[in-house]
Amino acid sequence: MRFRARSALKCVALLAATVFLAIGCMHPDRETSIPPLSAAGEQVDPGLGPEAQPLSSGPGYKGSPSWSPHGGRVAFTVDGYVVDKPVGAGRPRRWTTRDFVAEDAEWTSEDSLAILGAASGAVSADETSRSVYRARSGEESLGVREVAKEVLAMSRGPGGEGLIVVFQTGPGESELALLRDNGAVDRIYTSTVGGRITGLSLSPDGRSAALAVRAAGHTFELHTFDLRAGVHRRIAMLDEGLEIFGAPQWTKEGICYVVGKEAATVGGGTAPLYDLYSITPGSGGPQPTPGVGEDFVASSIRVSPDGGRLAVIGRLNPNAPVNLYILDLAAQDLEAVTTNEDMQIKTGPDDLAWSPGGDSVAIVARGALSDEPRVRAAPKRALLADFYNLYEIPVGDRGAAR
Amino acid sequence: MKEAAIWISGAAFAFFATAGAFLLLANLGTGPSERNLTPDPPPAESGPALELTLTQDRLASLRALPGQEFEVGVRNAGDEDLSHVNLTVEVSSENTALSDARYYRENVNELPAGSSVPVRFYLDLSQRESTMDTTSAPPAPEPPRKVIEVRATTPEGESAIKTAIVPL
Repeated sequence: MRFRARSALKCVALLAATVFLAIGCMHPDRETSIPPLSAAGEQVDPGLGPEAQPLSSGPGYKGSPSWSPHGGRVAFTVDGYVVDKPVGAGRPRRWTTRDFVAEDAEWTSEDSLAILGAASGAVSADETSRSVYRARSGEESLGVREVAKEVLAMSRGPGGEGLIVVFQTGPGESELALLRDNGAVDRIYTSTVGGRITGLSLSPDGRSAALAVRAAGHTFELHTFDLRAGVHRRIAMLDEGLEIFGAPQWTKEGICYVVGKEAATVGGGTAPLYDLYSITPGSGGPQPTPGVGEDFVASSIRVSPDGGRLAVIGRLNPNAPVNLYILDLAAQDLEAVTTNEDMQIKTGPDDLAWSPGGDSVAIVARGALSDEPRVRAAPKRALLADFYNLYEIPVGDRGAAR
Repeated sequence: MKEAAIWISGAAFAFFATAGAFLLLANLGTGPSERNLTPDPPPAESGPALELTLTQDRLASLRALPGQEFEVGVRNAGDEDLSHVNLTVEVSSENTALSDARYYRENVNELPAGSSVPVRFYLDLSQRESTMDTTSAPPAPEPPRKVIEVRATTPEGESAIKTAIVPL
């Protein structure tokens, strides 16, 4: 009798446990991620590939994207003034008045921007009329404060703090200075560089800068500048007629830069051709950057935050469409991350930017222009491909050191 | 000893039975899975009640001058008559730094179901003198186009919108 009761209890307990497990495993569906809505709230048809996401929408000649230090916002120029907006949904926030003419904007902290440009009326053909202005979010007046005059170029400072600016000190002389986030001068380097510095970028360790210099006679040179010792040296001189396009990029594998050469016939017209060159520590001189191919036409480049990859806007050959490529410098491997379907990708030297985490690149593009009017069933602020707009291109770890 | 075994067995049974009941209830009450959380599609089955038509030929004939005739076709594609349709046209430059937007308004009274009516506007597409000074404008690759945004609304809550981008 005792044995029978114990067996019954065991059976009941076993049955309950089975039911318990069966019900627990009954969950009908696995979780699926819900894709976020596009920032524009309209159809996403950028013609850049399925992974491209719009970062802006509506009319306006946009350019010079710049990610905030934490990557939550992106600033850019629109018809000369500066705005920023959250990555994803959110309305743009204006930083300058509409009569301001900004060429470039760089975050110096989460709530301040350094803007290279000129206030209305101060614009002339002379590049030295440009100044660096500082703007802070939350200042209702859209006021900007001029912190440096006669500036030729600027770059974020070492460690992402402050700013390096290049002053023109004479007809053929340039000078570097470090500015703090608040615009105060931290250090002025008395070792002047002969010529006009047209672009600069920091080395991955932040101790040096690579400079593109237009020297006397309009020949271009490449210099390095030791920011601790305050000394510089020329490491390359280009042949007459060639020029360095944009800022040279100091990578883990050396210094990369785009050199403009002779114009080529493309589609019935002429277009300048640009080659990608590198100077690596052991190379002894400039060499075509390995991995991109002989026919590759580079337009603009930007080194990744870790220094190991290069974002390149260019063409595989003079007749190929412009795309964004990621070049793994160590592996010498080039990979396209956009699939251009009749889009015009801007090729200016400041028209691409890496996100701080190195997992996305922002570019600027629009659909092909037409002489015919176009009609869209959407408000103008939601239109994408009809105007130059910013797109986030996820690159993940593509091109990262494997 | 025997009583202790019975109590322990009873407690275990009660625990499993209660847990099983709760799990059963939780699974029955799950409702639609996460996959079904996509936004509801717009009510496209019946189509919008208000439709706007901008003809390509007329848009192509527009010039950067005052008094340009601009025709908008307004159609009531719904099943009920519309007593009133408000039309607003905003003309602006592709260059957003130029504050040269112009606004035009027209009304359509009584638009029976299934009918359409053309509404004419005479737009000033010339560039304002205050915006002619381009010294502060950044270099754009080509002259800015005109952007013509047409909105139609009704007191009943119907609305339609069309935007034309016109090179001039």
